[in-house]
Amino acid sequence: MKNYIAIVLMALVLASCATSSLTREARYPKMYAEKPASIVVMPPINRTTHVDAKDFFYTTMYTPLCEKGYYVFSPMLIMEMFQAESAYDAENFLEANLTPFRNVLGADAAMFTIIKSWNRSNIGGTLTVEVEYILRSTVTGETLYQREGKVKVDTSVNTGSKGLLGALLDVAATAAKTAATDKIEAGRKCTAFVLSDMPEGKYGLNYMQDQQSPAGEARITATVSE
Amino acid sequence: MKKLFIVTVAVLTLSSCGTVQPNLYSWYDSEDATYQYTKRASEEKLAEAMAQYKKVITMQKGARKVVPPGVNAEYGYLLVKAGQKEEGMTLLKEEIALYPESEKFISRIIKQLEK
Repeated sequence: MKNYIAIVLMALVLASCATSSLTREARYPKMYAEKPASIVVMPPINRTTHVDAKDFFYTTMYTPLCEKGYYVFSPMLIMEMFQAESAYDAENFLEANLTPFRNVLGADAAMFTIIKSWNRSNIGGTLTVEVEYILRSTVTGETLYQREGKVKVDTSVNTGSKGLLGALLDVAATAAKTAATDKIEAGRKCTAFVLSDMPEGKYGLNYMQDQQSPAGEARITATVSE
Repeated sequence: MKKLFIVTVAVLTLSSCGTVQPNLYSWYDSEDATYQYTKRASEEKLAEAMAQYKKVITMQKGARKVVPPGVNAEYGYLLVKAGQKEEGMTLLKEEIALYPESEKFISRIIKQLEK
């Protein structure tokens, strides 16, 4: 039993950040070379059948990027502009020349996101979100940062009741809780997890001092409780 | 002994993620309020989002002690739309003063609102 606890705890330690042996400077050298100060968050590219995911997921990007020390253009004003200019479909810009965003907005970089899963399983009690994040320079067109995350939020409930009735109660409680939990929770956690190893921007407390901090794997998977 | 082991593992877990940093800004419930407004736009949800923005602007306790990027602009824009043009324009200009990176974009918005 003691061994089992030790193994679980060790696994937790190892999985807690899924850090690779690379430093941020080694993994994201172009971030340190170009030093983007301002980021425009592009409307997400939605590759799921959940039409709402695009607008909803968009709201998860702003706060974490600001907290990383970047100037992030107001999401509401940017979204209004994109809709007015018929530039709402970011797929068209993913590999295009981004100079217009530099000329019109003054943005140093554009953050693209591709939503690959946006699911809820009431029976299993999980919300699953899978997103790829790509930051491209508006100056050189280069990809400065790229990472993908798959985050499952565990919403299962254990009522503590025993026997068949207890099991049924658990299933019902899990289904109710999962149905009531907003999928945005998984979206927020995914963004927070993935962007945690992004080098800090000019307003960050460790700007140009985090080169030796560990960078995470290019793709991370995590299960977190609500 | 057992306690020491758990504490050690907890410290390891925390340190493996790097140090925990203080937030640069205080956001209050603004993230959720704007999400709720995006989800179902209504006068009531808009009023709640604006109330949260006002808190973010006037009660800033984050490490930088300044209003976060975009908030003065967004709140100012909403005030202009609600008829409080002078106050709104002042905040839009405040965004540029605080964040010179925003000048191109916000000047464009100001021009549009002045038409």
